[in-house]
Amino acid sequence: MNVLILGGAGMLGPYVARELAPNHNLRITDIRPPEEDLPGEFFLLDASDLDGVVAAAAGMDAIVNLSVLRRDRKTAWDVSTRGCYNMMQAAVTHGIDRVINTGPHYTVAGRHITEMLDFGIVPDIPPQPGTNLYALTKAMGLEICRVFTEHHDISVQHYLFYNFKDPAAIQPGEHYAPYVISWENSAEVFTLGLDIDLDALPSRNEVFYVFADMPHGKFSNEKTKRILGFKPRKDVENLWK
Amino acid sequence: MRILITSASHDRSAALANHLAQHHEVRLTERTHVETEHEFALSGLGHDNSTNLLTRGIDAIIHAVEPLPEEDISSQLDAATRCTYNLLMAAAEEGVRQVILLSTLDLMADYPAGYRVDETWRPLPQTQPPTLTKHMAEQVSREFAREGSLDVRVLRLGEASDATVADAVVDALAQPASLAAQHRSKEEGARDPWPITHVGERPQ
Repeated sequence: MNVLILGGAGMLGPYVARELAPNHNLRITDIRPPEEDLPGEFFLLDASDLDGVVAAAAGMDAIVNLSVLRRDRKTAWDVSTRGCYNMMQAAVTHGIDRVINTGPHYTVAGRHITEMLDFGIVPDIPPQPGTNLYALTKAMGLEICRVFTEHHDISVQHYLFYNFKDPAAIQPGEHYAPYVISWENSAEVFTLGLDIDLDALPSRNEVFYVFADMPHGKFSNEKTKRILGFKPRKDVENLWK
Repeated sequence: MRILITSASHDRSAALANHLAQHHEVRLTERTHVETEHEFALSGLGHDNSTNLLTRGIDAIIHAVEPLPEEDISSQLDAATRCTYNLLMAAAEEGVRQVILLSTLDLMADYPAGYRVDETWRPLPQTQPPTLTKHMAEQVSREFAREGSLDVRVLRLGEASDATVADAVVDALAQPASLAAQHRSKEEGARDPWPITHVGERPQ
């Protein structure tokens, strides 16, 4: 499969590229050059550049969006919200029916609205990101994707993450969020998302929480395991053991 | 009451300004310069202090979310999302009491003709303006209302005269959401921070 990865030179991108490279042809873009050699072809691209994103998607079978800017009040909207519009417009233009979008867990469950109070939080609750810039800009990107899936034959899988860890660097007693995954484990879900029969997805717009099995029960990754066949590694358990 | 109206270059904003100026102090703003007899402030609705200054001392904002002439889709989306966020963030910081978002009943146009569609129905935006941009502005404003930092009232405007729209705006200004909520019974719910009102006929 020919796969366009937007924002592929960031923190998660190299892990995803190495995971996908053996079985897919990768076209990786980012607003900045990668700090290490990445498989496939690479070129510089701003995800907020509509024409550039549409051009980059030519000949692709799937788009993976890893682009993210968290804090700047201008670029966060450019990348996380308008970037999603550009990606979906590119998918429409080139007849691409498989899109994987990413974001933080509070794209759906805002930190102060849900996480502080509830347990067993699933990804299918109506989004309630609050006004946190990162959460809201990503939530608006998700909403744009959803609207496109209502009008076009495009399936979007949204993979939401929270806290990434390098298992080898975990220190006893260190702080961690109630929703953790290793970098390598997180990359594996993208293979599943590219392999899954799109008709096996419950709808054309599906949200998944991607994290290791954790004992706290704050969030649920059951849907990700059940539908995508995701297998959490047991490589971050030193955080609580 | 001091009222700020956005999208000053749009006819509806101009008509509202003329109507409201009879009883209120009105300030218009736009992302480009506009000739008007009312007080006018040029603002890109950025996240710098100028947006705070724009909203300082304002009691209510009527956010019209209209495009500039010949504005491309990317810029329209930017205005509907980022600029709405900046405006509402500044409004919350400056203690603005109320925001009235002027949306569109085009969001309900895809329901079959003859259906009695009301405000409890799910909006059906297209992938292009105006419905996509109005819908996104609604979604951004909803989060401010959800957090309780602002009272936001949404008026979804259908086929309606300027006078009808002006009457709806005046009604909304007279009944801030939190005040209206005070008159509801506990059984109905303590507070409706994001009331939506359909104005005029639904396009079909």
